[in-house]
Amino acid sequence: MPGSISIPRRTFLESLGAAACLRAAPSAAAKVIDCHDHLAHHSRASWQEDDRKLIDAADKLGIDQLCCSILTPQRPATPEGFRECNQWMADGMRRFPGRILGYCFVNPGHGREALAEIRRCIEDRGFIGVKLYNDYVVTEPVVWPVVELAIQLRVPILHHAGHISWLAQPQPRITDGGHLAELSRRYPEAMLICAHICGGGDWEWTIKALRNAPSVYLDTSGSVVDEGVIEMAVRVLGADRLLFACDTSLTASVGRMRSASLSDADKRKILGANFERILSRRAA
Amino acid sequence: MIDVNAYLGHFAFRQLRYNTAAGLLELMDRAGIERAVVSSAASITYRNAQAGNEEVAAEVRSHPDRLLPFAVLNPAYAGWQDDLKICHDQFGMRGVRLYPRWHKYRLSEGACLELVNTAAGRGMPVSIPIRVEDRRQQSWLVDVPDVDLEEIAGLVKACPQAQFILVSGSGFVSSSLGRKASGLPSNYVIDTSLLSAVMANELGQLLANLGEDRLVFGTGIPFHYPGPALAKLEVLEASDAVKQKIRQLNAARLLRL
Repeated sequence: MPGSISIPRRTFLESLGAAACLRAAPSAAAKVIDCHDHLAHHSRASWQEDDRKLIDAADKLGIDQLCCSILTPQRPATPEGFRECNQWMADGMRRFPGRILGYCFVNPGHGREALAEIRRCIEDRGFIGVKLYNDYVVTEPVVWPVVELAIQLRVPILHHAGHISWLAQPQPRITDGGHLAELSRRYPEAMLICAHICGGGDWEWTIKALRNAPSVYLDTSGSVVDEGVIEMAVRVLGADRLLFACDTSLTASVGRMRSASLSDADKRKILGANFERILSRRAA
Repeated sequence: MIDVNAYLGHFAFRQLRYNTAAGLLELMDRAGIERAVVSSAASITYRNAQAGNEEVAAEVRSHPDRLLPFAVLNPAYAGWQDDLKICHDQFGMRGVRLYPRWHKYRLSEGACLELVNTAAGRGMPVSIPIRVEDRRQQSWLVDVPDVDLEEIAGLVKACPQAQFILVSGSGFVSSSLGRKASGLPSNYVIDTSLLSAVMANELGQLLANLGEDRLVFGTGIPFHYPGPALAKLEVLEASDAVKQKIRQLNAARLLRL
């Protein structure tokens, strides 16, 4: 694209110190997957330009695939609202084939409509997972049918999360790492992803809350660039439970991974191999 | 490459790694940063900020070629005039760092203006971090908002002879500090550490609005990883000459290196 500066994936991986990836021919294992991002809601006049910017930035930074959802600007989301978002998401997957993968966004409070929408998106439209926001805390029973369907379809649930201990909570039904850990004890076979460790408040709290919840993954996205967050997450949770993600903070997220003191093998897992393993569990 | 935004010492609410001179130099070497402006992280919460300045002075003594100390001063606390004199004359500190929200004063207060003008008289730039931590993750013990950008605009206007380095901030383009032809003097630069570079692209917008001499490279290490600041420069659509100004030349001019 005119005027863009494209950084090849090779350069990106070299800068990560992932030399072992580069000695071998490019393989699926070396793919860089952003497991949490968003396309723009079409109520924004600039939505096409915004989507293009996201892809251009991914080109520049060497990100191969972006797993996206579109959220309703107002929540709680209505069935009409989340269906419209998912329709636009399906369109986005067609506009950027193979580059954009889609999560189906629903509000679990609309039980029947939410479950039907998940089935439609996963079974008919090739979506790769479910995105839940802050309509309900994930431990509320109204959410459980969605979790059970995701288990049946063998797709992950990416859950908005944050833990802010000091402030009057602006999102009264936000889920935190402790809630996801609790849910994982009820549904150990669910593939749960706790969103944006670098954009969800006290990251040390969240990492510790997830320590004994081995089936919960943690995504690395967010705008906070605190030194040591990735290393602590690997130390406490293990590299197998971390998933590279940006949530629209692309330079922050790539920069964190470049700076983190990790082995090449661990970086490869986090950058894409772990999420590829999740995608491979998908029901036929 | 010159980093205008680095720290030494402990922070009250989170363990920092690489927070000694040796540790910071290791981090700088890994990131390709030759020199860094450093100030005390402990002085953010010490009642007597000068104790942190003394710690930093001792720490940087063996590295004058690479670590450039700034003095954290609190104009609302007794003895800042003596502390400034000691920091400049005895410790060789090159600038001043202010934390108006953490130290609970307004930038428009008389003592603050006096401090800034005294620093200007000594040729010491004044660095103001807009934030120390993301507010969402602050300890339950504190509630420290970001410094208001219009309050800073008032200060740069009130002290046109002073030089300001504004660090760890964002949202400048929505304030008079980041607008074209705002009527403010051009006596301030903005560091890149928390500016967006791709989606909102505040970095590119500030470059267009303020010009290529008004942005400086900053990371916030060791609070922050250096990588994100480096990635921003990589993706910024600007000539190598402009990037070199941001990486080094603008700060070198300001710091008289």
